[in-house]
Amino acid sequence: MTQGNVKLERSPYPYTGQVVIERAATQPNVCDARVKIELRNLGLYYENFKALEDINLHIMCNSITAIIGPSGCGKSTALRSLNRMNELIEGARVEGKVIMDGENIYERDYRVVRLRKRVGMVFQRPNPFPKSIYDNIAFGPRLFGVRERNILDCIIEESLRRAALWDEVKDKLRDSALTLSGGQQQRLCIARVLSVQPEVILLDEPCAALDPIATQRIEDLLSELKNEYTIVTVTHNMQQAARISDFTAFFMIENQGEPGRIVEFGETSKIFTNPDDERTEEYITGRFG
Amino acid sequence: MLRQETRDAGIAVLLGEGVRKAEERAARYDKAATWAVWSFAGVAIGILAFIIGTIFFRGITTALTPSFVFGKPQAIQAGGGIWPMIVSSFYLAFLTIAIVLPVGVGAAIYMSEFAKEGWITRLVRFGADSLSTVPSVVFGIFGMVIFVIYFGLGYSLLAGALTLTLLNIPTVMRTTEEAMAAVPHSYREASMGLGASRWETVKKIVLPSAMPGITTGTVLTVGRIVGESAAIIYTVGLFVRKIPTSPLQPAAPMAANIWHMYTEGALVSDWMRVANGEAAFLLIVVLVLNLLARLLAKVYQKKLGTKEAR
Repeated sequence: MTQGNVKLERSPYPYTGQVVIERAATQPNVCDARVKIELRNLGLYYENFKALEDINLHIMCNSITAIIGPSGCGKSTALRSLNRMNELIEGARVEGKVIMDGENIYERDYRVVRLRKRVGMVFQRPNPFPKSIYDNIAFGPRLFGVRERNILDCIIEESLRRAALWDEVKDKLRDSALTLSGGQQQRLCIARVLSVQPEVILLDEPCAALDPIATQRIEDLLSELKNEYTIVTVTHNMQQAARISDFTAFFMIENQGEPGRIVEFGETSKIFTNPDDERTEEYITGRFG
Repeated sequence: MLRQETRDAGIAVLLGEGVRKAEERAARYDKAATWAVWSFAGVAIGILAFIIGTIFFRGITTALTPSFVFGKPQAIQAGGGIWPMIVSSFYLAFLTIAIVLPVGVGAAIYMSEFAKEGWITRLVRFGADSLSTVPSVVFGIFGMVIFVIYFGLGYSLLAGALTLTLLNIPTVMRTTEEAMAAVPHSYREASMGLGASRWETVKKIVLPSAMPGITTGTVLTVGRIVGESAAIIYTVGLFVRKIPTSPLQPAAPMAANIWHMYTEGALVSDWMRVANGEAAFLLIVVLVLNLLARLLAKVYQKKLGTKEAR
């Protein structure tokens, strides 16, 4: 897992212009522009309830962006809007734009299948299919027409290695994925996402159901993976956000029944040491939420 | 002051006498309730055991005689067998399943995965529930009027299978729907999150995960078809003694034949022996099918790696 010859300067936020960086030949996922995804005035309704309002966010390439905030503030909703998973919920409706690589993913003719291949998702509870470890990871590639056994073998080994799971499961690829521990299952889910060569990985509180050691492994893994992917994670764990993320967005609802809004967004180091908004400071220091 | 006394009295009860009494009362009621529910369960099992016992007592020796099981039925002499009836029953079950399974499972897929909750789904559920409360003899008459006479199928296995399809669609649909609803939503999310379409998700994830439930439901449906009599005496036939070779031929499945033997079978002197033997054999078939359903569910669960039943 080479880092390649691409060095990202950890600077300009707010994003001011297109900074084109050198594309490494070995790393097709490194994108040209610094900004991978831009949320522009995003709002989201469930039926008549407005869950999110006025969300503006820049998600930078090859970085980890953490979304934090108290329960019910729309963190997960915002995350799920990035690969249109909200559409699986009846009555969900979106306004505004989510622009990935210059294209609005909510455009009428935008292909959802391609979007979900490019933007993978890992859920709060590990959700491997009740199939073998091998078939779990082969699921995605098979969807996109990879049939040859040796190619699949390759993809599966590669994905499991990247998810730091290969050594633990290489001798039992035919066993049911449900026999793995919770932490292993979650890494399997990450491997499953990696198997389809995504560009962005969304994680919805990926460690919420895991013990501290499994959590540690996932965090290490994410820090490793950001070299090649753009990562957005929702977390309830302040320390985790501070440890692993490069940028942090703090979401909040003012009062019950109001939509969630972004209070502050910026580099994690700034948000956690010297936030502009006092509500951010209160939340981070544990005074509410 | 009065308040204070009342309070003290309350505390006294809570600290002394009251607790002991409550304990005793709870223990007493617990015992009584245990006895009550135990005896209700006992009655249920007792009735079942009595029925099975009687049928086996009367017919098991006949049912286990090879010459009876594989023998030809007799028209006027004693000593006939029931082989054509057994074949007819399974032929009919096979035909019915071939029709009811695609329709029922298809409808269930639509209901659980594609339909938006609204008046259509409510109408379909209401229709299915109503259909499942209609007595089977009514389906029999309906099948006779529509399939036998109007469509000109005559007394035939096909007419019977179509009638039994109407009878069994609600249960097949509802059991499949339940099996699919039991598949965790997170599987669907994971699948669609990887770029699978709704249909791909159904085909590759939901249906395989729901397979234990669907299989169990199907085998139990076979049991119901084999045991059904009222719906087929008007549509399939009663006193046919030939082994059917085509779906358009009439036949006499076991359940219908038992009824026929008891009501008008006196032509053969041993009609009682034949009917009892056939009943015992039919019961064995149904029991075996039920056991098979459980076994298949276990096998599937093992295959899916889910140890506990969902």
